[in-house]
Amino acid sequence: MSQTKVNDARYKAITGRAILYAVLVIVALYYLAPLFLMIVTSFRSMEEIRVGQLIEWPKTFTFDAWAAAWNQVQIGAREDLGLKPYFMNSIRMVIPSVLLSTAFGALNGYVLSFWKFRGSELFFAFLLAGCFLPFQAILLPHSIVLGKMGISGSTLGLVFTHVVYGVAFTTLFFRNYYVNLPGELIKAAKLDGAGFWMIFYRIILPLSTPILVVSIIWQFTQIWNDFLFGVVFSDPNSQPVTVGLNNMVNSTTGEKRYNVDMAGAIIAALPTVLVYVVAGKYFVRGLTAGSVKG
Amino acid sequence: MSGLSIQNVKKSFGQTHILKGIDLEIPDGEFVILVGPSGCGKSTLLNCIAGLEEVTEGRILMGDIDMTYAAPKDRDIAMVFQSYALYPNMNVRKNIAFGLEIRKMPKQEIEEIVDRVAKLLQIENLLDRKPSQLSGGQRQRVAMGRSLARQPSVFLFDEPLSNLDAKLRVEMRTEIKKLHQRLGTTIVYVTHDQIEAMTLADRIAIMRGGEVQQFGTPQEVYDEPANIFVAGFMGSPSMNFLRVEVGGADGQYHVLVASEGHTYKLPSPPTQADLSAYVGKQVILGIRPEQLTHVMPHLESGPFVTKVAVKVEVTEPTGADTLVLTRINDEECECRVHPAEAGKPGEMMDILFNMEKAVFFDSETEARI
Amino acid sequence: MTTHNAQASVLNENKLDGNRMSTSKRSKGIDYWLPKLVLSPTVAITIVFIYGFILWTTILSFTKSRILPQYEFVGFEQYVKLFLNDRWMGALANLAIFGILFIGICMVVGLVFAILLDQNIRAEGALRTIYLYPMALSFIVTGTVWKWIMNPTVGIEKFMHDIGFSGFSFDWIVDPDMAIYTVVIAGIWQSSGFVMAIFLAGLRGIDTSIIKAAQLDGASLFAVYTRVIIPSMRPVFFSAFIMLAHIAIKSFDLIMALTGGGPGNATDVPAIFMYQFSFTRGQLGIGASSAVIMLMGVTAILIPYLYSELRGEKQ
Ligand SMILES: Nc1ncnc2c1ncn2[C@@H]1O[C@H](COP(=O)(O)OP(=O)(O)OP(=O)(O)O)[C@@H](O)[C@H]1O
Ligand SMILES: [Mg+2]
Repeated sequence: MSQTKVNDARYKAITGRAILYAVLVIVALYYLAPLFLMIVTSFRSMEEIRVGQLIEWPKTFTFDAWAAAWNQVQIGAREDLGLKPYFMNSIRMVIPSVLLSTAFGALNGYVLSFWKFRGSELFFAFLLAGCFLPFQAILLPHSIVLGKMGISGSTLGLVFTHVVYGVAFTTLFFRNYYVNLPGELIKAAKLDGAGFWMIFYRIILPLSTPILVVSIIWQFTQIWNDFLFGVVFSDPNSQPVTVGLNNMVNSTTGEKRYNVDMAGAIIAALPTVLVYVVAGKYFVRGLTAGSVKG
Repeated sequence: MSGLSIQNVKKSFGQTHILKGIDLEIPDGEFVILVGPSGCGKSTLLNCIAGLEEVTEGRILMGDIDMTYAAPKDRDIAMVFQSYALYPNMNVRKNIAFGLEIRKMPKQEIEEIVDRVAKLLQIENLLDRKPSQLSGGQRQRVAMGRSLARQPSVFLFDEPLSNLDAKLRVEMRTEIKKLHQRLGTTIVYVTHDQIEAMTLADRIAIMRGGEVQQFGTPQEVYDEPANIFVAGFMGSPSMNFLRVEVGGADGQYHVLVASEGHTYKLPSPPTQADLSAYVGKQVILGIRPEQLTHVMPHLESGPFVTKVAVKVEVTEPTGADTLVLTRINDEECECRVHPAEAGKPGEMMDILFNMEKAVFFDSETEARI
Repeated sequence: MTTHNAQASVLNENKLDGNRMSTSKRSKGIDYWLPKLVLSPTVAITIVFIYGFILWTTILSFTKSRILPQYEFVGFEQYVKLFLNDRWMGALANLAIFGILFIGICMVVGLVFAILLDQNIRAEGALRTIYLYPMALSFIVTGTVWKWIMNPTVGIEKFMHDIGFSGFSFDWIVDPDMAIYTVVIAGIWQSSGFVMAIFLAGLRGIDTSIIKAAQLDGASLFAVYTRVIIPSMRPVFFSAFIMLAHIAIKSFDLIMALTGGGPGNATDVPAIFMYQFSFTRGQLGIGASSAVIMLMGVTAILIPYLYSELRGEKQ
C-alpha cells in the first residue's frame, strides 16, 4: 500500500522533471533557431536557397557569401566594396570610445564614492537621470554642435558622442561598485599619507578588475551595436558596421541574396557574440548592474 | 610623541549636530577610553582627531601645534579600525610598509621596521599572505602592525577588538596594554566593552549625544559618577536606582525604603553626600548590586548596614554569584548574593543594604548630589 | 625589554617628521580641489550635452524651424501640427501596442523561465547562456534575420507550404494591420532572456531562510512562489519594467531593420517619426516637438523610479 504510494510520488516527480527539461530545451531551440538558420544559410549558395527549403543543411559548403559580404558587395555608392570598410570604421570608433568612457567612469565613480563634497550627491542624481535619456531629445542640438566643432560625419565625432553619452552609465557602474567597498580603506590610506591619485592607483584600481571588465564589455556591446548615432552623425566614410549592414540588406538593386545578408549579419554580430561567449558572466552582471540593487 | 588637546570641538553634518562641544585634555602617553551608547559620536570624534572629518568649530592641538585643519597625513596619527581596513590587494608586508613607502623612506629601513614590527606582534610567518588568508585575530595584529610601523605620536583605536571571539579579545587586550606600557604613546580607544574600558584606561570619557558626561579615572567614574547616565552606563550589572524620601537633620540623614509592607531607615554616610537641602524631598538613591548582599555576620554590624527582608522575584546565577531580582519601593532592584544563600523565586530572604558607597542624585537634574 | 629598546630606537631614528608640520589656519590642500577638478569634465558634459541640449530641443520645438534651426517663436504651433498629424497619432498607437505587448510578454516569459531555471536545473549555465545571447546582438542583426524568417515568400510560410501545410499563412510582416506584431515577436526574442536574467538574479537574492520557513509552515512550492517569493521581488519587477519601457520608447533600430516603418507607415513609432522629420524631411520644429513628447513619456515613467531609488540610497 504505502510502497505504491511512494512509487506513485516518485513517478510523478520524475515525469514532472522530464516535462520541465523538455520545455526548457524546446525554448532553447526557439532562441537558437535564428542563429542556426543564419549560420547554415550563410554557407549555402543562392541556387540552393532558391530551390531548397528554409532550413536545410548546405549540400556544398561555400564561403562565397562570406567573401561577398566582406569585400565584394556594392553598398550604396562607395568605392571600396563590402562590409569591410564599415567594420574597420566600427573598430576605429569603438576602441577609443570604450577606453575613454570607462576611464572617466572609474574616476567619477571614485570621486562620487570616496571624495564626496557639497553637491556631489545631487550631481550623481542628475547624472543617473541621464542614463535614461531618450537620445532623440538631444539629437538635433548635438548635430548642430558637432558641425560647429568641425567633427560631424567623422569617426572622431562619433567617439566624442559615445563618450559623452556613455559616461553616465560607466559612472553608475563604478560608483555602485565602489560604495560597497569599505570606506575605512580610504581613511586608512589617507592616514598612511596617500593622496588622491595614490589611493586610486594603489588601492582602488587593483580592486576594480571585475567592474572594469563589466564596464568595458557593456560599453563595447552598446557602442558596437549602436545604430542611431551611426546613422545620424556619420557620413559614408565613417559609418559603423550596423549602418553598413542595414544599407546592404535594404539596398533594392539586384536580386536579394539571403546568404550574403546572413553572412553580413554574422560579421556584424561576431565581435559582440564572441565577447558574450568569452565573458558572458560579466555581460550579465553589466545588464543587471543598473537594474538589480544589492 | 605628544599629548592631545581637544578644545570645544563641534561637528555637524548639515543640520544634524553630532558633536556639541567636546573638551578633552590628554597628556602625553595617556591611555584614554571613549565609551558611550551607539551613535553618540565616538567614531566621529576619532575621525575629527585624525583629520578625516573637518571639525565645524573648535581646535585640536597636538603638543603645542594647532592641527585643526592639517591634512590627515600631516598629523602623525595612526588609526586601527573595527574592520581593520587592510588593503586587500597587498600582502601583509606591503600593508605594513605602505605608509612608510609613501613617506619615501629608504627601502632598507622599511624592511628593518617591517621585520621588527612583525617580530613584536609575532606575525613574521604571515608576511607574504594576503589579508583574505588570515584569521580575524591575525588581521587584527596586522592592522596594529601597520599603525605601529609608523610610530606615530598618537594612536586611535575604533573598537579594534569587537570582531574577535571572547577568548582572543582577552588576549589581545593584554597585549595592547603591554604595548602601551612599552611604547608609552598617547592612545584614544573606543570600545563598548566595560571590562576593556576599566582594565585598559588611564582615564575614561563617557559620551552621550555628542557631549562628554564625565572624564575621569576608572575608579572615579565607577565610584563617583557625575550623573545617573554615567552611573547606569558603567558597571555590569547596572546600578540600582530607587526613588527615596530623605529624612533626618543636623548632618545625620537617612532615606526611607519600603519592602513587603515594612519601611526601613537607611542611614546616609556623610562622606557620600550632603543631603541637608533635600530633607522631606525625594532623591534618587544609586546603589550597586554588590552593595546588596546576603547576610554576612562580619558586615551586619557596620554603621551603614541595614538588614531588609525582601521577596525574591527572579534569580540569575552567573557562576561566582547569583543575582537576585526583588522589588523595593516598588522598583526593580538587583542584589548580588552567594549562590548557596539565594532564595527561590517567591520566597522571602534577608538582604544587607550597605550604604557606604551609595550615591544620591537630584531627581530633577539627575546630577550627583 | 631589550627587543623593545632596540625597536624603539630604530623607529625613533626614522622618526617621520609629519608632526613638525603646522597648519594653523584653514588651508585647502590639493586633495580638496582635485576631486572637483576630476569630476568637472563630466559635470560640464552633463550640464551642456544632456540638460542644456534638452532645453535647446525644447526651445527649437517652439520655433518655426524647418530645414535649418531658426529662432522665430510660434508658441505651441508645432505641437498642434504634431497632434493633428495622422502619422504621429499612428506612431503613438503603434508604440502603445508594441509597448504593452512587448513589456507584458517579456515580463511573463522572463518570470516563468526564471522560476523554471531556479529548480536546480543541471545545465542551467548553458541554458541561461542560450536564452540571453540575443541581447548581445545588435537590433539591426535581429531585424535582418527576422525580416527574412517572416518574409512570406521565402520564410516560414514557404517552409510550411513546402512541407505540405499548404493552408498555412504567416504574412504579418507585409500586412499593415499585423506588421506591428512582428516587431513584438522579434523584440521579445531579443529581450526576454534579459528579463529572465534580472528575475533570476532577484530570485537568487532572496533570503533562503524565508523560503525554508514558509515550507515548514506547510506551504506548497506553488504557494511559496506566489505568496512569498514573488511579492518580495517587487523592486525587481519595478526595475525590469523600467528597463523594458525604456527600450520600447527608444526602439528605433529594430524597426528600421525589420520593416523600415512599413508597410506604408504601419510600424511607425515616435523614434522613427522624430528621425525622419528632423533629418530626412527637414521639419526640425515638428521633429523637436516630437522629441520633447518622447522625453516627457520617459520622464513620467522614470520619476517614480528615481524617487524610490534615491530614497533607498539615503537609508
Ligand atoms: N557622514 C555622515 N553624515 C551624516 N551623519 C553622519 C555621518 N557620519 C556619522 N553620522 C551620524 O553621526 C552620529 C554619530 O555617529 P558615530 O559613527 O560617530 O557614532 P558612534 O558613537 O561611533 O557609534 P557606534 O558605537 O555605533 O560606532 C550617528 O547618528 C550617525 O548617523
Ligand atoms: Mg563607531
